[in-house]
This record gives sequence, C-alpha cells and structure tokens, in this order.
Amino acid sequence: MLRLPVVSRALSGVAHTKGYGAAAGNVRTAATTASNLVEVFVDGKPVLVEPGTTVLQACEKVGVQIPRFCYHERLSVAGNCRMCLVEIEKAPKVLNINSVGKSTHWLLWLAVMVLEDLNPVPVAACAMPVMKGWNILTNSEKTKKAREGVMEFLLANHPLDCPICDQGGECDLQDQSMMFGSDRSRFTEGKRAVEDKNIGPLIKTIMTRCIQCTRCIRFASEIAGVDDLGTTGRGNEMQVGTYVEKMFMSELSGNVIDICPVGALTSKPYAFTARPWETRKTESIDVLDAVGSNIVVSTRGGEVMRILPRLNEDVNEEWISDKTRFAYDGLKRQRLTQPMVKDISGQLVPTSWEDVLTRVAGALQGAQGKDVAAIVGGLVDAEALIALKDLLNQLNSDNLCTEEVFPMAGAGTDLRSNYLLNTRISGIEEADLLLLVGTNPRYEAPLFSARVRKSWLHNDLQVALVGRKVDLSYTYEHLGESAQVLQEIVAGTHPFCKNLAQAKHPVVVLGSACLQRDDGAAVHSLVSTIAQNVRVTSGVQDSWKVLNVLHRVASQVAALDLGYKAGVEAIRNNPPKVLFLLGADGGCVTRQDLPKNSLIIYQGHHGDIGAPMADIILPGAAYTEKCGTYVNTEGRAQQTRVAVTSPGMAREDWKIIRAISELAGITLPYDTLDEVRNRLAEVAPNLVRYDDVEEANYFKQANELSKAVNQTLLSEPLVPPQLTVRDFYMTDPISRASQTMAKCVKAVTEGAQAVEEPSIC
Amino acid sequence: MASAAATRGTSAAVKVVKPIFSRDLDEAKRRVRELYRAWYREVPNTVALFQLDISVRQGRDKVREMFNKNKHVTDPRVIDMLVIKGKMELQETINVWKQKTHIMRYFHETETPRPTDFLSKFYAGHDP
Amino acid sequence: MAEYIQVFRRALGQLGGHGGIRGLFYQLFRVNDLKTGALIGVDKYGNKYYEDKRYFFGRHRWVIYTEEMNGKRTVWDVDGSMVPSEWHRWLHCMTDDPPTTHPPVSRKFLAETHKFNVSGTREQYVPYSTTRKKIHEWVPPKAGSQ
Repeated sequence: MLRLPVVSRALSGVAHTKGYGAAAGNVRTAATTASNLVEVFVDGKPVLVEPGTTVLQACEKVGVQIPRFCYHERLSVAGNCRMCLVEIEKAPKVLNINSVGKSTHWLLWLAVMVLEDLNPVPVAACAMPVMKGWNILTNSEKTKKAREGVMEFLLANHPLDCPICDQGGECDLQDQSMMFGSDRSRFTEGKRAVEDKNIGPLIKTIMTRCIQCTRCIRFASEIAGVDDLGTTGRGNEMQVGTYVEKMFMSELSGNVIDICPVGALTSKPYAFTARPWETRKTESIDVLDAVGSNIVVSTRGGEVMRILPRLNEDVNEEWISDKTRFAYDGLKRQRLTQPMVKDISGQLVPTSWEDVLTRVAGALQGAQGKDVAAIVGGLVDAEALIALKDLLNQLNSDNLCTEEVFPMAGAGTDLRSNYLLNTRISGIEEADLLLLVGTNPRYEAPLFSARVRKSWLHNDLQVALVGRKVDLSYTYEHLGESAQVLQEIVAGTHPFCKNLAQAKHPVVVLGSACLQRDDGAAVHSLVSTIAQNVRVTSGVQDSWKVLNVLHRVASQVAALDLGYKAGVEAIRNNPPKVLFLLGADGGCVTRQDLPKNSLIIYQGHHGDIGAPMADIILPGAAYTEKCGTYVNTEGRAQQTRVAVTSPGMAREDWKIIRAISELAGITLPYDTLDEVRNRLAEVAPNLVRYDDVEEANYFKQANELSKAVNQTLLSEPLVPPQLTVRDFYMTDPISRASQTMAKCVKAVTEGAQAVEEPSIC
Repeated sequence: MASAAATRGTSAAVKVVKPIFSRDLDEAKRRVRELYRAWYREVPNTVALFQLDISVRQGRDKVREMFNKNKHVTDPRVIDMLVIKGKMELQETINVWKQKTHIMRYFHETETPRPTDFLSKFYAGHDP
Repeated sequence: MAEYIQVFRRALGQLGGHGGIRGLFYQLFRVNDLKTGALIGVDKYGNKYYEDKRYFFGRHRWVIYTEEMNGKRTVWDVDGSMVPSEWHRWLHCMTDDPPTTHPPVSRKFLAETHKFNVSGTREQYVPYSTTRKKIHEWVPPKAGSQ
C-alpha cells in the first residue's frame, strides 16, 4: 500500500530532502534547474522554492517555524491536526481562457475563483503545495485566530495532568499551547477518556493524552515496516491502538516515544524517574551494534537516566534501535567495580589496584614472546586497543586477536576495502539493487535496515537475499539458503544474474556472521567476485562501491585497522601462559583450551562470560564512562564522551594498560588521552579524523588475491545468528545485564501481558 | 606633588607612577623591617595566646620564611602592598580575629600534595 | 591536737588499708585515689562498693571495679556500664538502701548478664542503607560451585 504512485513519491522525496538541509541528495528526485523555481512570499519576504514544495517547507526555508503536530519531516504528510493553518494571500489571477475553457465551463471556474479570493480560508501549511506569487501570512490576525481555535479543540479532550506526565518539559502540546493557544478557557464540558493499551515492556501508553496526530502509526508502517498500529472509531471516538491486544513488536519501536508530540507514548523504564530539565546531556556514540548511532546520554547524579537519538544524516538519521535506547540499565548491573584476584581456594576476592597491577606486571615480565596473548571483545575502544597492542609488542608478542572472525586468506584484512561497508549507510539510498548474503540486517544493524527500507520504499530498491529466509520488513527475492547459490551467481547460471546485469547502482552486503564459519574465506571470495563482476556489468563510475561487509560489533573495524588478527585460531593452536582478555565476553577461548598453570587476566566492565574464568580482574569503564574512539562498520571514526564517572575503582581501559606497562618496566610513551590519540594517528590516521569516513579502495586487487583462496564451501545453509526479534535484544555484556532487555525477550516469547507491571498512573 | 616625589625617588624610571606609601626603595625596605620586627615580637604572644603546638623558634622561622618568599620583589609599590597585607594579617592575629587553624595554615601540615605522575594519579582516582 | 592525731591516723589508715606497699601502689595507679571506707557489698561480678560518710556528699560512695568480668580483663580498661542496675541506684544516691539489705525487684527488661559496649570494635552495629543502589556490582561465583 505504501509503495505505489510515482507522483506521491516524488512529492515525499521533496519532503525528505527539505527536512534538515543536510539530507539533500539522499533520495533521488526529479532534477530541477534554477529556471523552474517558484517565487513565493513569507510575510512579505520573497523566497524561491521548487514546485511541489509545501507551504510549511517554504516557511521553514526562510526560518519561520509553523506550529505543527502531525507533520514530521521523515514521515508522509497526514494533515489531520490542523495546527499548521496559515492565511494565504493569493496573487491576482491572470485568467488564461484557453487553458480553462476546454473541460469546464469557464464562467463557473471564474465564479469559484472570485469567491475564493473574496473569502480565503486558512490552509493547512503541511499539505498545501505553494503556487506562484502566494503571500503566506504566518502571523496575521486570521492565522492566529485559526491556531487558537485548533488548540482549543485539541485541549478540550486533553487531560490536565502535565505535573505527572513524563512528557512535561519536552511536550509539543505544552509548548505550543503556551505560544499559540488562547489565554482563557471556555471549556465547561466533560473530557473524553480512553483506555490504555499494553503494547510491550518498552512503551507506556496513556491514551487519554493522545491527540490523534497519527505520527506513531505512520512511523510504524513507513519506517519500522510493521503495520501494528492504527486507528479505530471516528470523530470523538477515534482511538490509536493495536486493534487487538498485542505487543508493538519492532526493533525501532522506541522511536515512537520521541515522535509522539504529547505524553501518550512514553518510555516505560524511564517513567517517573527524571525530568528533562534536571538531566545533563552528553553527546555520545552507541556501541551495542556496529552502526555507531549518534546518541545523547541523559544523566542525573552520576546515573544514566535515558538515552536519546542524536541527528546524524549519514548514520542513523534521527532514529535509534531499541537496544541502544533501552539497554542502559545494563550499565548499572553486574558491574565490575573493584580489582579482584583469585585466592588459594580459587575464590575471586576484591583487592587494591596496587596489588593487582603488580601481579599482572609480574606475570607479564615472566612471559615473553609467544607466552603471552590477548583477545579483545566487541565493546573496546581504539585507545585501549592501541595501548594493549603496544604493550604486547613491547613483550615481543604479536598474538593479538579479536573475537570476531574475519578470513585472513587472500588479501585478508590487509586491504581495508575487504572489511568495510564501503557504500556507506547513506549510499544505500542511491542504490537500485541490493544483494544480502548471510545476514539479517533488521536485527544485526537496525538502522542500516531502516535505510534499506527507506530506499526500497522511495527508490524502488530491489533486494535479494542469500541465506536463511527472515522477515526483513521489506519484500525481497530469496535466492536460496546455501553458499552454493553464490557459486551459481558467479558462474552466471542463476536466474538472478539477469537482474544483476541490469543493475545501475548495485550493492552487495556480506554479513559478518557467515565469515565466522569455517568456509568464511571462500564465501568472502565468492561475494568479492560477484561484486567485481556486477561492477563491470553495471558500468558504474569508479567512486561507487559495490562490496560491503556488515559487522555486528563496534570494535571490529578499529581493531582490524590497528592490525589485530581476526579470530582466536592462533591462540587455540598456540596456547599462551598469560592470556589477556580485554572485554572478551564471547567465550571463544575457555580454560580447557589453555595449559593448566596459565594465567587469565580479564579487563572489562561487566561480569559476564570472561570474568568468571579469569584469575585477575581489572575493572574498566563502559562506553558512557570514557572518552573513546569507535569506528563503525563504514569506517567512520566517532568518539564517545564521558557522561558519568565509572563506578567504584574502575578506570579507563587504556589507563589500566598504561599503568601495567609502567610497573612491568616497559612504560608506554603516553600519559594523556591526547598523547594516546597522537599514537593512534601514527598507526592509523583515519581513527582520529572524527565523523569522517576514510575511503577504501583496491577492490580489484583484493578480488584477485581472494581468488587464490581454495577452501571448500560447506553445504550448510547460511544462517545469521539473529533470526527473530527475540535474538535481537541480548547480544552483548551490557544488554545481557539489562533487565529491560530480559523483559523484552520474555514479552516476545510469552506475550506482552507476561511482563505486566502494576500501573501507577 | 606625589608624582614629582616619585620621579625624584626613582630617577631612572621612565614612567612616573604614584607611590602607595614609600617614595623610594629604601623607605619601602624600612617599612618591611618595621613589619618584620612587629611580627618577631608578636610570635611568642601568638604561640601563647593561640596555644599553638609549636615553639617560638619555629614561629619566627616561619615568619622569616614568609618574608624571604618575597625577597625578590624590588618595586616599592609592590613591596608596600605586601606590607599592607602583612599588617592586615598581623592585626588579625593580634586581635584574635583569626583562629588557631588559620595560623596553622601557614605551616601546611594537613595538605597532601597532588599527584603529578601517571601512576600516582591512577591510584588516586578517576581524574585527579 | 587531738584532731590532728585523728587526721594523721586516717592518713595512715588510707596508706595501709590496701594491703601493704604493693597494694598501695596498685590502688594508686589503678584508681588514682587511696580512699578507705566501709565495704557495703560486692555484686555478682565482684565489683566492691564502699561508703564513707565523712567525705563530702557525692564522694562518699564509690566502686572498686572487679579485675575480670565476663571474660574481659578489666584491671585497667574499666567502664561505667560495669555497675549493674541495682547497685547503680545506690551508687548514684537515688536511694540509701543498698541491694544487700533491700533485694531489688526483678524486672524482665533488666539484663541478666552484663554486655560490654561494642562500639568501635569489630562487633559494632552499623546501620545499613535503605536507599536504592545506583550500581549493582558483580558478585563472583563461589569457588567450588562449578
């Protein structure tokens, strides 16, 4: 239903590009030249806009904000709140008899025109395209009166519970009734009341507050791709809900909290905990998936109160996934707050920093070369990575591995183009064909998937999938489950090759999950060949990238950029005496893989899988507690900021490693964060060019090298580990420690009523 | 009048400045000596009055130290200002407007030096 | 003259009334006083209660604490709480009747045996926090459990 007429798509394309200015060019629109711009006036100020621009967008262009509830830049236009009514002075008509008289009686036409001009009604600015010469009056008497009237009707059925409403202080209705509403009430009737709906453990509904703007409905059906929400009844009886009692099951569901202009949809975990004016906001980066969504961490009294999205057109637009938004309570549970050491009985007991650091330094001094190795997990920042690498290199060891496997055969990780999402997330919007291999982007990288859906919706993106069939929230052609399909595509025998050959801007995305298999190198080689072949047949220009790898953990790209080995195979083959786990909670190496007397040091922030098997535990800082560099799957370096201090005796990760190095007598040459970053810049300069993507190249050479790989393909199907929404919520130490995420899993498996809490309000 | 006096006092000075009290360095030094003498005489009194756990000798050493701290100053205006401040301190001490803790603050007994090198900062806290 | 002899005799009595030179010094160092008086009674712990009406009111009743009480050596480390409640009344002149002649009424709120004050020791009571913890730390698993 959404993916239909070309005209409306062109219009919505305008709507999207106008949105924040920066979005221009993300969605393909009909090319416009300067000559066919339309001149309109906003309060007498002239402005040139493209034809098809709405009145509201034209006003925004000159910096005049029109009040609105239902209109949202990234959603389709509904025009049902009527808050954006403005008066319009139309230009005197120059009647062209020839054009009018053909189909209608021109006298009738004239009469309508005259009547309209004599008594113009205010128009809804969000839905009305501008015409040449219009003068939009945003502050006239009539406009003001219209707004007051609309506001009066909206408030007639809105409860006066702002003091106990979680939206208080950031409520559009509150703000706009102050700005544009009447200063006295004529209201004497009773107010309508609506029953609350239970739509899951994340979103709290107080449906009496709903003003039926339908933003949430449009978000669900357009962006999230689940047609769960809708309206029932009409007029005064109109209600927004899920028709039948069910959970609003989407990985992007939390965003309806942000787009709801009133307090009808609020965050359940955040309910009654803080007010927006008493929290401190820190702009940071999310690390729970490899997209690197931009977030704002709201804190109060050294405690993270909530996490909100931050606008970044190139990464997450203005959405974030539910895991990003709601897993913050995992930061307060299962934390490592004190250094610990195993005593004689094998029990971990808290101790002092002096003690553990001397022990670790002593152990490292005794172990040189291949006796010492390190494994890094998925949430580690680049500063800690470089410090650990320098420390182990000082000990003549190069056994530095990441938990995620990446095939080292062929060009391996030597060429950056092999392991990046080269097309970039925003590049998907220009693509016309997308081949997904062994991935479920909807749960591995929800924001990437949202982009794909956006492009599918507006640009007729054609999607195909090799791997286990999953629900992607957009239609796709399922080519098969096993990797043999890839061979057929390379050989040109698969029917899909016809479509590939026709593609103008093809994109191939390889999920990192299928690189974990034993035939990862072969799969990567095949996909690389497909990408190279498609690139040749499409004849696309050189700046267009085809091959993409979609990672699942935040630290992987930085680790590979810094020269870490992917995969723990080297450590299994060559068990070290001292093993340093830096946030490694994947459970890749267990005690059974190591010699009996080996020493395991765990450094990290959560007691998850790595900590119980360690002999020494060094408490580190989580991503909200340190200033760290993370590189997302596109190769975009971004930094987190300190929002709260780390709990107890926990310290920033690179500082711990630096302190160990001093006690071990091999002092690393940096004392401050800036000095560490200088060192980062020496090794990989792109890691400190923040918010910038370093382009990767040498696709052809990488492909040539990958042809040298001779691995046999396994016959098992390519199955991404996160198949349904149930697998989405708990993937890393932080979200595994989160009670909210646990509730989500329970609600998904047993239904929303299973986690019903006694409602206070 | 005052500016004329200043030029006479510091003939080498190019810029004519208004003196605070002293017209030349000798006069300023005299004021310093007077202040030092006053402090020197007051120390036994202070030790007794405030029941300080220090000897008179220690007190006088501290006075000497405080004066020596500014011995590099040669500008009479600056010296005068320091003397004024010293007199204020002295008055506060004599009249017991200060308390014992304010006197003992000169001795920096309870202050711990801030950590400077990386490792002691690391042990001390998150970001000292 | 006679009263001076009386005073002198009292002084001699105080010097000699503690069991020789050793007892004299023991008493002097332990109690900081050499008073002698009539022994009114000894409680169940061995604290001795004396009275001498010739002293000024307020100094005329005193206690010489026992040397060992409930397993604690109390030669030097004495504590006002070692006086049981029935003798407390007499010692503080709330009554003139010592519990030896007027046995106390037993009350169930009175402690059977004395308990020393444990403040500042390992057994002291520490109030626990009733506020919500901001950070729940990880508790390592017990050694033998896996």
